[in-house]
Amino acid sequence: MSGVRNRWAIRWLRSQLPELVASGAITSENARAIERYYENDRPRTNFAFVILATLGSALVAAGIILLIAHNWDDLSRATRTAIAFLPLLMAQALVVFTLMRRDESRSWREAAAIFDVAAVATAISLIGQTYQLQGTFSDFMRTWLLLSIAIVYLLRTTLGAIAYVLGCVVWLFAGWGMFSPEGNPMFFWFLMVLVIPYVAIRFRLDRDSRETAILVIILALASLFGVGATADFANANVGALAYAGIATAIYLCGMIFFPQPAGRLHPLAVVGGIAIGVVTIVLSFESNWHMTYRVASVPRDSAANLAVAVELLFPIASVCLVGFDLLRRRAAFSFSAALLPIVAAIAWAISKLCELPDDKWQSTSCSFAAATVMNCYGLLLGIDILARGIRTNSIARANFGLLLIAALAICRFFDSDLSFVARGVGFIIVGLGFLVANLLLFKRRTAP
Amino acid sequence: MNMLRIMIFAVVALAQLGVPAVMVWQREKTLKQGRVWKFRTAPVDPVDAIRGRYIALRFATEEFDAPVKFEKGNKSVYAVLKQNTDGFAEVDHLTTEAVETDDVVQVESAWWYGGKQHVRFPFNKFWVAEANAPAAERAYVENNRRDNQNAYVTVRVRRGDAALDQLYIDNEPLSEYLRGHSSR
Repeated sequence: MSGVRNRWAIRWLRSQLPELVASGAITSENARAIERYYENDRPRTNFAFVILATLGSALVAAGIILLIAHNWDDLSRATRTAIAFLPLLMAQALVVFTLMRRDESRSWREAAAIFDVAAVATAISLIGQTYQLQGTFSDFMRTWLLLSIAIVYLLRTTLGAIAYVLGCVVWLFAGWGMFSPEGNPMFFWFLMVLVIPYVAIRFRLDRDSRETAILVIILALASLFGVGATADFANANVGALAYAGIATAIYLCGMIFFPQPAGRLHPLAVVGGIAIGVVTIVLSFESNWHMTYRVASVPRDSAANLAVAVELLFPIASVCLVGFDLLRRRAAFSFSAALLPIVAAIAWAISKLCELPDDKWQSTSCSFAAATVMNCYGLLLGIDILARGIRTNSIARANFGLLLIAALAICRFFDSDLSFVARGVGFIIVGLGFLVANLLLFKRRTAP
Repeated sequence: MNMLRIMIFAVVALAQLGVPAVMVWQREKTLKQGRVWKFRTAPVDPVDAIRGRYIALRFATEEFDAPVKFEKGNKSVYAVLKQNTDGFAEVDHLTTEAVETDDVVQVESAWWYGGKQHVRFPFNKFWVAEANAPAAERAYVENNRRDNQNAYVTVRVRRGDAALDQLYIDNEPLSEYLRGHSSR
């Protein structure tokens, strides 16, 4: 529970204690009791100091490199090679010293980790330049990430793990762009699997800390990019299911593994909820369900089949998470949100019932039916979230539900053939919904 | 527990040192023992010449007459080199057989269009120090126009491994050329 407490508030309360004792509001015995109660909440290490130490060591390393680079062309190949290895050897010595003598200090661990990881990159790129090596940026990133991941574990650095996940995304974009159509994004998942045990360790030791929250959120966002690249690579027309699956899985992980006091949501669940809303809106467009002509003509190899398996893993995982939580009889999540992968699968199956037209822009009755299913689901989801918001007295949640309904209305305003009167009435109803719900909630909040 | 971590780190540290060390070792062998080939560079669009800290190289022999398209299927393509009368390297023919000799280099890509076969050599980036990058770019572009083609690179090839050695401008290595021209 301690992670939920507001440290600023505790600090303020402490600063007020002498004044409260002096004014007679509480006795000095009370003040000591309060001090004792919050004793465990004293920050163990100063986070700002950690950041500054990390930044400082990075700047020193960068400065050394700049000084050397200035006279670079006058140095022989052998000298340049020796210089390339020097920062790496120093960094490794620092890591050994930290492990032996400063293992308990977080600042030392973070600084040693960033120094070592930066020195690896420096060594590889300086050798690459000295010897005119021709590898691509994506090759470089891959080598760097593989040589760095062990440092995250050895020096127990969450900042390092966050940087590693961001590095994986950079690798993904370096290899998966319009300039390299042959890139295979499957290695991304291998890189991600390497960091999962660390996330599990953080989860077990320090579940409620802010850093663990940031780590899991970055991991979730990175996976969203990964699914995009994988769907593009697999080219198997199951991207809709994959996205529905991962959005729901993120939401469920947030709800099940990071339970919060009533009425509150873990940021991971919020990210998942927003992803569910966005995926629902995107899949409510009919064009998603008939632009699939390319698939049949693509020859499939084992890598593409593996990509399909990875895509399908996410909807399966989210269904398993629902089952797991139902078995524990604790289900606190929204059933309508958790239904997204099932609804998307139904829409997907419906869209497959019709023969595909030659022209991918031409809609079919099946694609219309699939889109209708998604629109109905979106509307029900919006209403459910709105109702949950009102029930739990949460203005943010109620407005998110309304936002979902409004977004659906706006999308259909542009792409459907409804009459102006129907559209107008629709907008008025949604607008009134916003007003009434907010008024209701504000009234309830201000009521004594 | 801590001793174990230090031992694991010893392995990690060896890998961190080993990866660049292996790169150096392989290149040193090719640069010392490989056969020297000179490749005439081809004119480039000045805008395209420099990307950050390297010069993007194109070579005259990357395009040559071929009446029929070279069929590579799914295989890697290798270029068999020959020396022309001026002493520069030319592509003799393409093959899909990986032969480890000193006159064969693997090419990155190969395509055919309008009676000409095009290939892309894997040594197409010449790294320059950041301080020299603008001057290097100017020198390369000035000596690599259609009316003034005065640049080439030397590449060492050993058992199919090609190592880019030096970029020559006006018959001088780039760094010496820059030094000579900046002191004027």
